[in-house]
Amino acid sequence: MEPIIIVKDLSHIYRDGSDQEFYALKKVNLHIMPGEFVAIIGANGSGKSTLARHFNALLVPSEGMCLVNGMDTCDESHLWDIRQTVGMVFQNPDNQIVAAIVEEDVAFGPENIGVPGEQIRPRVEAALAAVNMSAYAHHAPHLLSGGQKQRIAIAGVLALEPKCIVLDEPTAMLDPRGRREIVETVRKLNREKGITVVYITHYMVEAMLADRVVVMNNGSIAFQGTPQEVFSRVEELKQLGLEAPLAAELAYYLRQDGLKLPEGIISNEELVAALCPSN
Amino acid sequence: MSIKLEQVKYTYSPKTPYEQVALKGVSLEIEKGEFVALIGHTGSGKSTLIQIMNGLLTPTEGVALVNRQNLAGKGAAVKSARSQVGMVFQYPEHQLFAETVYEDIAFGPRNKGFDEDVVEHLVRQAMEFVDLDYDTYAHRSPFQLSGGQMRRVAIAGVAALDPEYLILDEPSAGLDPVSRDNIFARLLELYKKRGLAVILVTHSMEEAVRYANRLVVINGGQIVLDGRPEDIFLHHRRELLASSMDEPQVYKILAGLRSRGLQLPGSIKDGASLLAALEKAKGLTPRKTQGQKGEQAHAQ
Repeated sequence: MEPIIIVKDLSHIYRDGSDQEFYALKKVNLHIMPGEFVAIIGANGSGKSTLARHFNALLVPSEGMCLVNGMDTCDESHLWDIRQTVGMVFQNPDNQIVAAIVEEDVAFGPENIGVPGEQIRPRVEAALAAVNMSAYAHHAPHLLSGGQKQRIAIAGVLALEPKCIVLDEPTAMLDPRGRREIVETVRKLNREKGITVVYITHYMVEAMLADRVVVMNNGSIAFQGTPQEVFSRVEELKQLGLEAPLAAELAYYLRQDGLKLPEGIISNEELVAALCPSN
Repeated sequence: MSIKLEQVKYTYSPKTPYEQVALKGVSLEIEKGEFVALIGHTGSGKSTLIQIMNGLLTPTEGVALVNRQNLAGKGAAVKSARSQVGMVFQYPEHQLFAETVYEDIAFGPRNKGFDEDVVEHLVRQAMEFVDLDYDTYAHRSPFQLSGGQMRRVAIAGVAALDPEYLILDEPSAGLDPVSRDNIFARLLELYKKRGLAVILVTHSMEEAVRYANRLVVINGGQIVLDGRPEDIFLHHRRELLASSMDEPQVYKILAGLRSRGLQLPGSIKDGASLLAALEKAKGLTPRKTQGQKGEQAHAQ
């Protein structure tokens, strides 16, 4: 199977006001496979959002390259195809909603790319069903909760039938219920529809649900692996300004004290089971 | 000295088809020296509540008092009472506007009519409080700073007004763990040194239990729980979940351990105290000093 996203020696250079060059990304290499759920974590300014913006050609490499489904993001003739392959969802749902009625908002994308009229309704209905918002098709978006608005934003992307969705801190502005709604929706899309997910977050408990966690630092990938591998590296995460989930930290320190615990404990349930064997 | 709400009701667009009741009779008193976490889901009424606390909204019914002064109406006394309540909005860095950090923080004090040397003193003090070095940052553009630094500039702008009551609406949203801890460390210092009241609106249960000494849960325009965070997370789990709130990770782990028969003391409220209790329960000798660990295995 070919990776859906290939990032090869990618650097991104910003210029600040005084014409100083600044590497937001430095020689990053990354492959993302179809159907994968990849979480990207890193401190503010580590380059994770910049990297994500390369995945649908909102930014193009200063050096190196980024291939989406084999298409080079630098080749403008592929722009529309790339954006239909990879959809983006941002932090603030209010900035992503354009219409006064939910179903019109979801239809905006497919209408814009010239999907034939008779195909639009089925697409909108399928997209709303996928985020469990069918009942709100005729509602006004501004009266919905944060989690509901964010699900509408996801439906708007789904209506373009992308192979991959990139979400940049989609839960940062949501309350606990909204966060749960988004996490459940994203997992369902990944598992049931096989959509590739790239998920940027500061919440480690959300990153735990991914197949793979990529840790960014200072414009480069510091390390990556399964959530178990990444979150067992408690001290290294700390040095990068991050933290492991509480259960992983507790397991780490108890092990340091000499307690025998199995490797790879990151969830509350795993910790509880290891500390209180059933018999 | 307190912010006091008496039977406050608030209705948006009253007597129109869009009429919406946001608060249904809220009574609440917050004294100077309290650190209150205010939690509630989107649409629960908490934003309306904090806007009433600093006079941005006037109650439809009931009264809002700051140091016994009614915030409704006009006049010097009302203005002065309102100015005692500082408000840091969500994503306050979006409201930075000046060319330099200094100018941005000085805007409020200047507006209050202070002389320039007083203004400079207040700016220096506010920058010190948020841990931004004056000589390094005062004359830089706020827009060239990192997200965490920009937010600290914005908080400094409110701190420079020296309010007796400080309301912060999700000050840590979108920040990484280090920037977040940094903001709260500064905030705690401000709180302790000046003895002001802090009202923290947050979606993070970890922050509520870690920093606040009082937790107020609002749901459907009413206060449903009000008490010590430890008590609420320990004894009112059901009401909390019914208000679409969550519980801190440490309490989830505790509940799991206790349900499986592990005896643990009732005083645990963060990662460090849970770790210490587990070490004791398992008969372990801690490898590191407790102080170090307390800092590391904190409640997230």
